[in-house]
Amino acid sequence: MTNERHLEMDELLALRDGEESAFARAHVESCEACRGELERLYRVRSELRALPTFGPPRELWPRIRRYVWRRRVRRRLSYGAVGLAAAAALAGLLILRGPAVEPADEWVAEATSEDLGPMINRARQLETVLQYYAPQKRVYDAPTALATSALEDRIFVLDQMLLESRAVGADREVLRGLWGERVLALEQLVTLQVVQEEKRVWR
Amino acid sequence: MGDVLTASCIYTSGMRAEILAVASAEVARARAGDLEALEEVFRAYQAPVYNLGRRICGNEEDAEDVLQDTFLEVCRSIGRFRGDGSLWSWVRQVAVSKALMLLRRERQRTARSLDGDGNLAGMVGRGPPEPTVPIDLEAALGRLAPVTRAVLWLHDVEGYTHEEIGELMGKTASFSKSQLSRAHRRLREWLK
Repeated sequence: MTNERHLEMDELLALRDGEESAFARAHVESCEACRGELERLYRVRSELRALPTFGPPRELWPRIRRYVWRRRVRRRLSYGAVGLAAAAALAGLLILRGPAVEPADEWVAEATSEDLGPMINRARQLETVLQYYAPQKRVYDAPTALATSALEDRIFVLDQMLLESRAVGADREVLRGLWGERVLALEQLVTLQVVQEEKRVWR
Repeated sequence: MGDVLTASCIYTSGMRAEILAVASAEVARARAGDLEALEEVFRAYQAPVYNLGRRICGNEEDAEDVLQDTFLEVCRSIGRFRGDGSLWSWVRQVAVSKALMLLRRERQRTARSLDGDGNLAGMVGRGPPEPTVPIDLEAALGRLAPVTRAVLWLHDVEGYTHEEIGELMGKTASFSKSQLSRAHRRLREWLK
């Protein structure tokens, strides 16, 4: 060794990473111990990069997808009556605020039909009530939050099923069943909000 | 999926690990909120994100949290991805942030005092009793204090600069350098 001291770890790392000082470069050329240490640092870095890769132990996508759905449902509800109920609005039954939606002919037909019209109108009324309670902006206890999320998820799934049923020209009975379920889920969601509001008022 | 997926290297310095890059058409669909395209993004990057979380946090449970939190954020914010860099770089940045956030949370929960450098005990430098015999690299990584391990992994494996690490951790580049030195001193002792 020609210089008076060995390199410190930070100096060796700077050398390895190409940020060395003139002193460090000169020293390592003449010092076998520091050169060996530098080689060791290169080797450790290579070994770190060659460590086996861990893979996730279980499937997480379904949980993430549910969250994305739930968030979308909340956004739908926060904008008020959109999507399916907007079809009824644009058919002249309702006056709604929110983005304009072009109704498909079959949606208008459904909203004015004898069998589906009353259910669609009822869904619209419940959505209007939910606009007042704005569940997506409220803070609940855990059981209510879970129940609210589950109902929002259910409504979203029913909307998807309704859209798909229309797309494949499903039987009218199927549409009635889906609309009935949608109204039921909306009623349960409204009931949850009313109960929570009463608790809040009397607390 | 209509487009062909192409392979690309995660790391810049000749590493063997490879991941699938998501085709640009898929990225466009994902940015528009298409759930199938978002799933493709998840499938392409779940393994490297999990591995990153596992390496930084040091345990399965936290790594799963990193994976979940990362993709919840990706699904929420992919519309804001500008597309001027690779999608993987963006996803990795989110993953690193989430992993470091978990470390911070853990630090707040467990630490009770500050050491002389202003670092919280239990997260930097102090660990279990010294091993009496040489241990392998995997075990040595597991023995490092979490922040020290995170700096080591981000710098030596992921290729982040000390300035970037300092910024990610709300510290300085010097902090990152000192942690890297500490990590390698420990490894030298333990791997002999």
